[in-house]
Parts: sequence; C-alpha cells; structure tokens
Amino acid sequence: MFAEWLFYVFSVLSVLGAVGLVLFRHPMSGAMSLIVTMISLAGLYALLSAKLIFVLQLIVYAGAIMSLILFIIMFLNIQTSDLPEEKGKLYFLAGGVVLLLPIASFLIKVVKSLPGSEATIVGKGFGGVKEVGLVLFQDWLLPFEIVSILLLVSLIGAVVLAGKRRVGK
Amino acid sequence: MIQHYLILSIILFCLGILGVISRRNVFTVFMSIELMLNAANLAFITFSRLHLSMDGQVLALLVMAVAAAEAALALAVVILLHKHKGNLDTNVFSLLKG
Amino acid sequence: MEHTAAYLGLIPLLPLTGALVIGLLYMFTCTTNPLPEKLYGALACVGPLLSFFLALVVFFHLKGLPPEERFLVHNAYTWFAVGDLHINMGFLADPLSALMLLFVTLIGSLIHIYSVGYMAEDKNYGKFFCYMNLFLGAMLILVLGSGPVVMFVGWEGVGLCSYLLISYFSEDTNNVLAGNKAFIVNRIGDLGFVLGMSVLFWAIGASGFDYLSLRANAHNLTPAIGITVCLLLFVGATGKSAQIPLYVWLPDAMAGPTPVSALIHAATMVTAGVYMVARFSFIYAHFPIAGSVVAWVGILTALLAAIFGMFQKDIKKILAYSTVSQLGYMFAAVGVTAYSAGIFHVFTHAFFKALLFLGAGSVIYALHHQQDIWKMGGLKDKLPRTYWTMLIGALALSGVPPFSGFFSKDEILFSALATGHTGIWFIGVLVAGMTAYYTFRMIFLVFHGAPRDKEAFDHAHEPPAVMTIPLVILAVGAAFAGVLNLPAIFGGSLNVSQWLEPSLVEHHGHASIWLEIMAMLASIGVVACGVYIAYKKFGQGAEEPVFTGFAKIGYYKFYVDEIYNAVFVQPYKGFGSIISRFLEPKVTDSGVKLSSWLYQKAGTAFKALQVGYVRIYALYMIIGLSLMSLFLSQTIN
Repeated sequence: MFAEWLFYVFSVLSVLGAVGLVLFRHPMSGAMSLIVTMISLAGLYALLSAKLIFVLQLIVYAGAIMSLILFIIMFLNIQTSDLPEEKGKLYFLAGGVVLLLPIASFLIKVVKSLPGSEATIVGKGFGGVKEVGLVLFQDWLLPFEIVSILLLVSLIGAVVLAGKRRVGK
Repeated sequence: MIQHYLILSIILFCLGILGVISRRNVFTVFMSIELMLNAANLAFITFSRLHLSMDGQVLALLVMAVAAAEAALALAVVILLHKHKGNLDTNVFSLLKG
Repeated sequence: MEHTAAYLGLIPLLPLTGALVIGLLYMFTCTTNPLPEKLYGALACVGPLLSFFLALVVFFHLKGLPPEERFLVHNAYTWFAVGDLHINMGFLADPLSALMLLFVTLIGSLIHIYSVGYMAEDKNYGKFFCYMNLFLGAMLILVLGSGPVVMFVGWEGVGLCSYLLISYFSEDTNNVLAGNKAFIVNRIGDLGFVLGMSVLFWAIGASGFDYLSLRANAHNLTPAIGITVCLLLFVGATGKSAQIPLYVWLPDAMAGPTPVSALIHAATMVTAGVYMVARFSFIYAHFPIAGSVVAWVGILTALLAAIFGMFQKDIKKILAYSTVSQLGYMFAAVGVTAYSAGIFHVFTHAFFKALLFLGAGSVIYALHHQQDIWKMGGLKDKLPRTYWTMLIGALALSGVPPFSGFFSKDEILFSALATGHTGIWFIGVLVAGMTAYYTFRMIFLVFHGAPRDKEAFDHAHEPPAVMTIPLVILAVGAAFAGVLNLPAIFGGSLNVSQWLEPSLVEHHGHASIWLEIMAMLASIGVVACGVYIAYKKFGQGAEEPVFTGFAKIGYYKFYVDEIYNAVFVQPYKGFGSIISRFLEPKVTDSGVKLSSWLYQKAGTAFKALQVGYVRIYALYMIIGLSLMSLFLSQTIN
C-alpha cells in the first residue's frame, strides 16, 4: 500500500517535471524541472527493485549528465534576451497534443492488453550490482565493449568539435 | 498495476516528443530528447520487473551510456553552433531548406 | 604454306604498328622536345618496305602454286559472332589481291621515301607520317580482307586517312572544307556500299560472308536482288573512286600535300572502287545490265573529267581530273566485264599517275609552292631529272606506245569494242585524244618555252636525291609495266590477265585481229592529234588566254559544284534549319519541356514542405506515426 502511494507521488512529480521542461522558457528552469523528473524516476526504479539502476540514475543521469548540461548553460551565459522568441509555441503545443493523442491511446491500448502483475518489491537476488554485473559480463559482453568504443569515439568527437583550432590551419 | 508504470512511460515519452516539436530552444530540445530516453528506460525496467529478467536493466544501463555519449557530443555541437551563430534558436539552423 | 599465310596478317599490321609508334612518339614529344625528322622518316619507311618484302614473298609463293589453287587464307581471329554469323578478321591472298598488294606496297614505300624529302621543314612532320602509315595499313586491310566486312574496315580507314590528310594544312579553312567535302561525299557513297553489303548478306550471306563462300553461292541470286546489289555497291564505288555523280571531292582533295595526292588520290585509295567491282566480278559478270550502267557511268565520267582537265590551270587539278578520267576508263573496263584489263589499268595508272604527281610535287617544291602552270615555263633545263621522268609519265598517260598506259588503255578500248559497246569505244578514243592534249599542254607550259615568272625561275633547283630516286624508279615502272601484259599481236601472252584468271569471272569478247589493229591505229592517231594540237598551241610559249564561251564553262567545271550546292546542299541546310528552328524547339521539344515543367511545378509545390527546420521534419514523422496509430488501434480491441 505504501509502495503504491509512493508510486503515485513519484509519477505525479515526474509528469510535472516533464511538463515544466516543455513549458519553461529559460533552459535553466527546464533543466531544474528535468532533474525533478529524473530523481522521481530513480524512485520508481527503486520501486521496481532495480537497485543498481536506481543508483546509477541518481549518479550518472541526475548527477553527471544533468550537471554537464547545467554547466554548459551557465558557460554560455544565457540571458533572457538571448532566447528565441517562440511565438507559435502554443499552436505547436496544441497541435502536438492532438497528434500525440492517437499514438498515446494506441500505446495504452497495447499496454492494457499485456498480462499484468503486482509490482511488489522483489528481495535479494534481483537487480543488485552482482546480479546485473553477472548478466552484463556473461550475456551482454559484446554490446558492452561496443558501448565502450562508442564512448571513446564520442569523447574524441567532442574534443575535435569543441576544441580550439589554431588560426591559419 | 504494473501497467501504470508503462502508461507513465508513454506519457513521459509523449511529453518529450511535444518538447522536441514545439520548442525552438536548442537546450530544451536536447533535454526533451533526454526525457524520451528516460521514458524508454522506465519501460525497460518495468518489463525487466514484469518478466523478472535482468536483461532489461542491462539495456537501461547501455542506454545511459549512449545518453552520456550523446550528451557529450550534442553539447559540443551546441557550443560550436553558439560560437558560429551566437544564437540558440533552432530556426537559425535551416541549411536543409530546399 | 602455313607460315606464308600467317604473313598476311603481318602485312597490314606493320604499317599500323608504325602509325601507332610514330603517333605516340609525336603525341608525347611534339610540344616539349620535338624529335628529329630523320627519326620519323626512318620509322615511317620501315613498315611499308617490310610489307613490300612480305608481299613479294606472298606473291612468289602464290606463283609457285598451280593456278587453280592460288589462294591463301589466314583467319587471324573471330572479330564478332552474332548468332550463327561468324565474321573473321580474315585475310585472303589470291592473284587479284596479290597484284594489288605488290603495287600498293611498292608505290606506298616509294612515296614514303619521297615524302621524307618533300615534307622536310614541316612542323607536323611526325603527324604526317603517322597518317601515311595508318593509310597504308588501312589500304592493305582493304585489299587483303577476306570478306566484305573486313574490306569495309579498310574502306572506312582509308576514307578517314584521306580526310585527315586533305585537311592536313589545317591553318587554311579551305583545306579543312575540302577535307569535309571529301568525307561527306564519301559517306554518301558508303551508305550505298553498306546497303549493298546488307542486301547481299540478306540474300546469300547465311552460309558464310566471305568472298569464297559468296562466290560459291552467287548463282542463288535472283536478277532483281543481284542488280540491286551491284548498283548499290557501285554507288559506294562512285564515292570512293570519284565517278559521276560523286566525283566532286577529288579535285578539291588536292588541297592535301602532294605525296598524299599521289598515294591516296591517284595510285591507291581511289582505285579501291575498281578493285571492289573486280572482287565482286562473280556477281557483276552475271548481270550485264548492271555492268552496262557501270561502264557508261565510267566512260561519261572519263569524258567529263577530260573536258574539265583541258581548261584547268592548277597543275594538281589537271592531274586530279586526269585521275578521275582514268578511273572512268577503269570502270568502263570492269563494266564490260574486262576485269583484268581494268585491274591492269589500275596497276599501270598507279605507276604513271604517282610519277606525274610526284613530278608535279618536285616542280611545286622547286618553285616554292607555285601551282599555277601559267606562272611556270622553261623549267626543262633547271629540273632535268624531273622533266624526263615526267615526260615518261605523260607519254604513258597519253597512251603513246610503247609506254605502259598504251597497253592498258588499248586493252580496255579493245575489250569495249569486242563486247559490242561501240559507243563506249568511240567516247574512249575521243577521251584518249583529249587526255593527250591536256597532258602535253601541261608539259609544254611547265617545262618548255620561256619562263613566265623570272624570279621564281631563277630560284628553282632540282630537289634532293631522296625525292628524285623514287621518280626514276616510278618512271621505269611507267615505261615498262605494259610489257607484263603484252597482247598477242605484239607476241605477248597477256601475262597479267592469265595471272588474274582464277580470281575473276570474265567473259572474253572475240574479235578479229584486224579489228584490234584498226582500233589500235585509231587510238594512236587520235593521241598523236592531241599531242600535235597541244604542241601547236603551247609548244612555243603561249600567254594565258581569257576563257570565253565553252572554255569558260569548262574552266568552271560546268558549274557542277554550284549546281550541287543549289540543288542538294542548300535545300538540305534549309531542311536542317527548319528542324532546328521550328520542328525541334516547337514540336519535339515541347513534350520534353512539358514534362520538365510539370516536375518543376510539382517540385515547387513540395518545396513548401521542405522548411529546413529539423523539428518540422520530426513533426512530419509524428503525423505519420499518428495516422498509423489511428489505423492500427482499430485492429486492437
């Protein structure tokens, strides 16, 4: 019962955060509300017994990636006057909602047809570091290695793109 | 009960799409994409719980890694664009126009 | 036996290799460091001389065989195969092609040697010899080809080289136009040739399309098809060999260098038509009507060209018209089925006409490119070797016994008489007199009398030995080649005719020996008259007359060029301009333009969708997704 209660709190928070992201004019506010969404998502992961992912969501997503984004926003020193004027935003929002309703309703229909199960917390032996690590390094070794290469490539790419260039070359 | 998680994931995903198509601020668009990735992650983990298999969690892990890589590159591109155009409006970048 | 046949492929290959080597050398060095002329000259003469040597080997090999087995076939490779048709790159040596081979390579070699001297100081020396070797290779393919298709390769090859060499001095637009004219007129003829070949193939080509199989199947031709084939092939011959109505290009072709005129436009290429008719004697001999057409066209060309020749003042034009005229004789001969007489005239004509052209070349060389005979005169003492050799050539051309032209021409005239073509004989004798007249008019004006241009006369000098030695060799040929085919009344036995016997299908006319002697005396008398009139008028020096009346029309060549221009060229141009001004832009293009217009408009309409903003493209995706969802959600309950 308590878990269910928690689920509703977290889901309302995350939806509010997402709506805030879409509606706030300044990206700093948007980033702050996105952090709200991410932290509530971390809570939901915990409710789903994914302990490792819960931790990683907090550390990597809400921590590292979001602070990187915030850092860049501050680095560029964005003033309100720098922001683009978004005159047709409301029309786009309304049109978007109209377009997304069929998609959402279709997907919800699909989800409803799935076999349900109670979201009780599973105890030991599920979603911990050891268990996920075993699965990761046994069944998912190749994708894991590929992702490591991907990270390396994006690292180099970021350096090449954003790095300073010598004049005249 | 477990479907509620999935419905939440759908709602978040749709909000992400809404952000991408309605906003002109590069950062907001970028964060909306992150939101969509998170929604997908939620679906993965829900399914992992549903089937009591940890493959979904591993996938969520991989998505996080990809998101990190994407963030690094995308922010580099944003800095570059800001340097060149001095602007964060996506409508400024319209080289695809025929 | 086997390896002699293998030489056949080598004979055209040698000059072609020469052309390739010289061409590449010239191409890569002409702008940076031009190679010495001696190198080009030596390289150019190697191929023709070796070919001549090989031709001698082939000739003597054939001579050693019994007459009915005198043919060698060498199939180098299968050129192409379509269905059951296999066209071999094959070479055939039989008495006819061996004879052609001998004089083509001999005269070709001599003219190459002569050119080494004549073309000295020319800045495109290498290019010239490249074309010359290419020409010789193509001519040898034409002569040696084992079937009409291979012959056609050579036929087009010599046409191309002729074009290239006529427009060789391409700084002057007139030369280029002359080349174009030759090329275009030849195309008209070649169309006939191709059509004739196609009809022939359609009719009897199924079991092999080379001369030997065609000859074996020739009796299957129906008269209508046979005559069609003959006439179409003859159209090709009129183009290549400058007969009525396609002779107009040959006089203009004199714009090329003089050795070219000697080799291509007198001795070898222009006789290809005669060779072709003789090659197809197995068809022509069956259809006397086609033969008569050939003969009459030939003799009328001879008459017309002789009339033009009498009034020209450019030394090379005189010789050009005389070539057209002599070619007319040859066609008259092959038309009355006297193929061996025609080929023999080709043979002797090659010697004396090449000699006359090279002699004229020497005169032009000595006078620094003066070609007007009314500006020459008295050169006899300045250029003795040229004078004497040219005199021999002129005597041979006029048909004065015992020079070679007499025997060959007399053989033709006698054949015409013996086969009952009295009209042809009569015109032929008349033309013989006119030939003698214009030939000696030229000789007297150039070499006798007083010099008309004192300054040029003083600077004139005999050309170097490299040019005069070929003249002497050709003069020997021009003087004595007739001995090879002595008729019976002079104690000979028509050696050349006997030699050619296995290759040709001939119907010999029979006439009494008295008739032959009478005919001979008549032609000698007419020739003597011609020479005498020329001597009377020009022997003691004469001034350039003002042409009036008929002479003026003759000088302007009956205005044939102008008539052709008005009747064919201008309407054709008008037709072309109708197409380019009206038909193409207004009619045919409109459909194309309409479709492109439609696409343009549709593009503009769709362009509105291409706003260039990535989020709008994402919106399009969402629209699609949304519609899909609408559709799919109906399938789920």
